[in-house]
Amino acid sequence: MLKWSGAAGAALAIGALTGAGGFAVHTALAAPTASAAATSGAPMIVAARRLTESQYRRSIAEVFGADVRVDGRFEPELRDEGLLAIGSSQLSITPAGFEQYYRLADSIAAQVVAPERRDRLADCRPGSDAAPDEACARRIIAKVGEQLFRRPLTEAEIAPRLRTAALGAERTGDFYEGVALALKSLLVAPEFLFRLERAEPDPAQPNQYRLDGYSKASRLSFLFWDAPPDADLRRAAETGELHTADGLRRQLTRLVGSPRLRDGARAFFTDMLQLEHFDGLTKDPNAYPKFSQALADSAREQTLRTTIDLLIDKRRDYRELFTSNSTFINRHLAAVYQVPFTSTQEWSPFTFPKEAGRSGILTEVTFLSLFSHPAASSPTRRGVKLHEIFMCEPTPAPPADVDFSKVQALEQGTVRTRLLAHMDNEGCAACHRVSDPAGLALEHFDGIGQRRMFENGQPIDVSAEVNGARFVGAQGLGTYLSTQRKIPACLVRNVYAYGVGKAPDERDEDYLADQTEAFAKDGYRVPEMMARIAESPEFFKVKLPARARPATTVAAAPAGETGGMP
Amino acid sequence: MSQRFNRRSLLRGALGGCAVTLGLPALDLFLDGHGQAWADGKRLPVRFGTYFWGLGLTDTPAGGSRWVPTTVGPDYEITPELEPLRPVKDKVSVLSGFRVIGDGRPNLVHWTGHAAILSGVAPAAINRMDGPSFDTRVADAIGGGVRFKVLDASASGKVVSYSTRTGSAFATPDTTPVELYTRLFGPGFQDPNRPDWTPDPSIMLQQSVLSAVTDQRQALLADVGRADRVKLDQYFTSVRELEQQLALGLERPEPCESCAAPPEPEAPKRGASIDVVNSNTRTMAKLLAMALACNQAKVFNFVHTPGASETYIPGESKIYHQITHDEPTDARLGYQIETSRLAGLVMEGLGAFLTELDAIKEGDGTLLDRTLVMAFSDTGYAKIHSIENIPIFLAGGAGGRHRTGQHIAGKGEAVTRVSLTAQQLVGVSVGEFGVGGMRTSRPITELMA
Repeated sequence: MLKWSGAAGAALAIGALTGAGGFAVHTALAAPTASAAATSGAPMIVAARRLTESQYRRSIAEVFGADVRVDGRFEPELRDEGLLAIGSSQLSITPAGFEQYYRLADSIAAQVVAPERRDRLADCRPGSDAAPDEACARRIIAKVGEQLFRRPLTEAEIAPRLRTAALGAERTGDFYEGVALALKSLLVAPEFLFRLERAEPDPAQPNQYRLDGYSKASRLSFLFWDAPPDADLRRAAETGELHTADGLRRQLTRLVGSPRLRDGARAFFTDMLQLEHFDGLTKDPNAYPKFSQALADSAREQTLRTTIDLLIDKRRDYRELFTSNSTFINRHLAAVYQVPFTSTQEWSPFTFPKEAGRSGILTEVTFLSLFSHPAASSPTRRGVKLHEIFMCEPTPAPPADVDFSKVQALEQGTVRTRLLAHMDNEGCAACHRVSDPAGLALEHFDGIGQRRMFENGQPIDVSAEVNGARFVGAQGLGTYLSTQRKIPACLVRNVYAYGVGKAPDERDEDYLADQTEAFAKDGYRVPEMMARIAESPEFFKVKLPARARPATTVAAAPAGETGGMP
Repeated sequence: MSQRFNRRSLLRGALGGCAVTLGLPALDLFLDGHGQAWADGKRLPVRFGTYFWGLGLTDTPAGGSRWVPTTVGPDYEITPELEPLRPVKDKVSVLSGFRVIGDGRPNLVHWTGHAAILSGVAPAAINRMDGPSFDTRVADAIGGGVRFKVLDASASGKVVSYSTRTGSAFATPDTTPVELYTRLFGPGFQDPNRPDWTPDPSIMLQQSVLSAVTDQRQALLADVGRADRVKLDQYFTSVRELEQQLALGLERPEPCESCAAPPEPEAPKRGASIDVVNSNTRTMAKLLAMALACNQAKVFNFVHTPGASETYIPGESKIYHQITHDEPTDARLGYQIETSRLAGLVMEGLGAFLTELDAIKEGDGTLLDRTLVMAFSDTGYAKIHSIENIPIFLAGGAGGRHRTGQHIAGKGEAVTRVSLTAQQLVGVSVGEFGVGGMRTSRPITELMA
């Protein structure tokens, strides 16, 4: 099997395509190795990570208040090497996307200067509500700007916004209309929409660079809280405290000890578990009349609640995710799980009895419905996603020249019969032998996760053999997975990659192995593992990017998601 | 295109659109009676669009086909899977037998085919292209002077577009008719036929908002690495496009004969079954057609269903993709019956789409007559992931430049010949297209008037 890694082979330079616009494209490595970029010794931008939708929403709530509505659509994110967080380092903003951000900014700015909210902006009032007031506008722009840009603004960033505010106030006869325009220009600025990570010369090590304090503060804050740095973190960045071991530890204690850790963990698992597939998930209403948007939303919430409760609130062993039957359900889920729901609350804790045949996260509606067909289950998809999500082992795309003559339509019997045909074909077998058994063990659950024992009138066989281990059904699979070392290793890899926004490469292997070892020694407790990673020097390691070439060259990164699975 | 530069081309090139307001007055003798179409009808702007559907059309193992016409040249026969194109047949050219030449690159299933058609090279990795898709070049050449340089829409609910400038970041489509309607005809739409037009005074303030952003461009790009520079350049390009949109809002739009802002569509049924996708396709086609007629855009990309299409016939448990692979070839008929039936249903989407473009009268013809739509797929015969005989259609007159209604047999030549032809038909000044074995400087001259 493949492994997610940063090693993408040799650089390919395919003759430049030069067109009417003089647009040339080369294919090059995603992360060119360290170069002599640091000739000037000046601070430089070493990463531009587009804010995710949830980071955007949380930023608005932090800066302006949770009651400000964010109604709009966001550009799709890109999953690369297993994570959206890695893909976000490659994304930009298209014209259609910028229009959306602009419209959002318009609506947000209008809300936050409304009379009932405007006093939150800063501790000043204009001399007159009907005229420009530079001093008060400056206070507002500087204060809001620092929160949005996650660092103090420069005078060059403040000045044009002051002009906009003044022009607006003059033309409309309303100070706050002018402020709204200035805020709007902050909200659509690249310094807000991208997490621009900056490096500066490291005073402790000549010729070395380190992330600057504010970039460190953002990395920490987004990893642990999925939010921009708060005032205390920005202060620690400004004073240099984050560059000291004690200062960093103090902040980590605060970050991990806060209830907001749940927000950070939710965002991380939303990414790792690929919950964005719920957007646009459709099921055939004839096959699955119980499927609805409400069920999809409930399933997503069930998975996050259950995961956060187990791993963050109760600080349990990560491997229990595959075996624990303690969960939370609501009315919609109870119907699919075929259990009574008597609570008067919207959500209620629930523990599946052993006879329900369920076993942890793989038997929740989320996993079972996301990785199925619109009107049928799919052992292959489930098996592929199990390996990809929890073991960091992506499945290669199927070969193009498969002889499908043996793979014929399934009119009777179970899906196992059809999949066995793949096993006869060497081109298919290498992957299907890995993916299918685990998926077949989950076949007692249909395409939206309802229990079933028969398919086309035939009893379903859920026995499986993986790497010589034999087990039966979902519970056998869960127990098997909880003994596999690559499962916690994959989580460690994902937390690190998520935090730094880059896929690890071979040079990170020893580090990740050590972190996995420490994770094991500590009883596989997730918050502690996150803190150990964030405290390690590798978390803030700077790899200088290749210098910009003349403006006509575009670097496209190789290696993408697998696809085309049946 | 013998006259490279004259008064008309100056006007057309500067702003395009229905008719234009320039510093110099447009002389009446160049215009038709309404003052909005050029007198000879051919001078209305040429528009371009791509239309993609997943899973190709059906061939037979014995070497036959359910879609390729038996005769070459004009007046081709309607084959079973082309039946939905019958109403617009005379305006559609069928291109068969073109293939992807991979130069040793693997056939990345459900990706290599259309990536090669659009970028001119078989891609190295799935979900990426090794160059920009050529629709972006068309947009650069002819898409200016209107509110939207390019429109992207997807009918199956999936957020899918194959339009890319960088090879890794793809355009964001509108995925429902309501979204598309709101973008086109919601806030910011100025009805060009409204008699009481006045410039919106807030536009200058909006311009100030954006100039505060672009002021920082140089400072930001000064200390940035190569890959991040590309991203930030794309960002600033997007800002620039919005600036241009705002600037256009300060000019009085010239009336457009065929423009009538449509009513807001009803919220669609959820789902990805073929009836829902086709119904969305028709509704979105109406909206896109009216956007072209109202001079809001001149270039679009439309995705009916993605590669490896997951659409299905309501009530059936298998998706189209699975059926193409699993269904046996019928021993008596010699082809996959269910697969071919689905292919026919999928082509109904294209038929409906083109019919909507043809329903709008413009000058002495229809909107379709002044548009070129390149419709294409990810595979030829989907059962075996073939990237030979990928079905491609060129539909619409391209303002009189396309000699429509022909069947062209590619005989194993590179798909890039079609891509080059499409670009030249809409007036992009490009002499060659493609890389390596697919590099070509030979357009399909039979199609060029």
